[in-house]
Amino acid sequence: MEAVEVEVWIAASPETVFDFFTDPGLMVQWMGRAVETDPQPGGGFRLEIRDDTVASGEYVAVEPPERVVFTWGWNSEDSVTKAGSSTVEVLLASERDGTHVRLIHTGLASAESATKHGHGWRHYLDRLATAAAGGDAGPDEFAEA
Amino acid sequence: MADLANAELEQIDLAARAIAEPRRRQILALVRDEELSAGEIAAHFDVSRPAVSQHLTVLRGAGLLNERREGTSRLYRARPEGLADLRDFMNGFWTERLERLKLAAELEQQRRNKRGKRRDDGGGGRGRGVDRRKP
Repeated sequence: MEAVEVEVWIAASPETVFDFFTDPGLMVQWMGRAVETDPQPGGGFRLEIRDDTVASGEYVAVEPPERVVFTWGWNSEDSVTKAGSSTVEVLLASERDGTHVRLIHTGLASAESATKHGHGWRHYLDRLATAAAGGDAGPDEFAEA
Repeated sequence: MADLANAELEQIDLAARAIAEPRRRQILALVRDEELSAGEIAAHFDVSRPAVSQHLTVLRGAGLLNERREGTSRLYRARPEGLADLRDFMNGFWTERLERLKLAAELEQQRRNKRGKRRDDGGGGRGRGVDRRKP
């Protein structure tokens, strides 16, 4: 599975930064214009980023002030990254009077990862098509070239 | 940036929609390793030539197919990097969001520090500045 990893240093304590992943009033400041959260394992969240762009998922781990894990997906009907199809892990560590934030997004489909694993184009297309069809794999209608 | 993010989301959705159709996946598989003309592609299917052309247009629009003209014919080949866009998109999305998080969290920290300090000045006891923002 392909992963995206992004890091940033913030001049704020891990406690403060952590609240930005759970408190809707703070989350709305960086994630969208309407936010609902139920920050406990199994609890859901919904982020309205724009009219037609809504992300949602479920908290998997809520461990203040160091770690928060949630599933992630777009609510668009034919989005590749469906709700629940990928996972975001956020690690917060005290560093230089602030917080080092590491965000790792795993479970993303990509052509690169498919090629790396030797399945290539066809494997990736199958996966993407499955995602596009809402997770129902259906018959493999792929023709050999 | 929000507009850009949205445009890229749309591009990814276009790709997903393009390959949700079984025949379009078959076309991509055909031109995965070799360049073929529209006629050669159509010969593999028992649907009309215009129907195949329509599929080719959708695949090109989604960035999954390259088209090259040679003389009077058009040659097609798969463009796998069109699908790598998803990773690039999420990378850009989170980079932008974390920048916004940084700005917001640093402001919030200053607010909390001030609140804590005020409480200390007034002889208050618990002022460590880690309480929730009041609505």
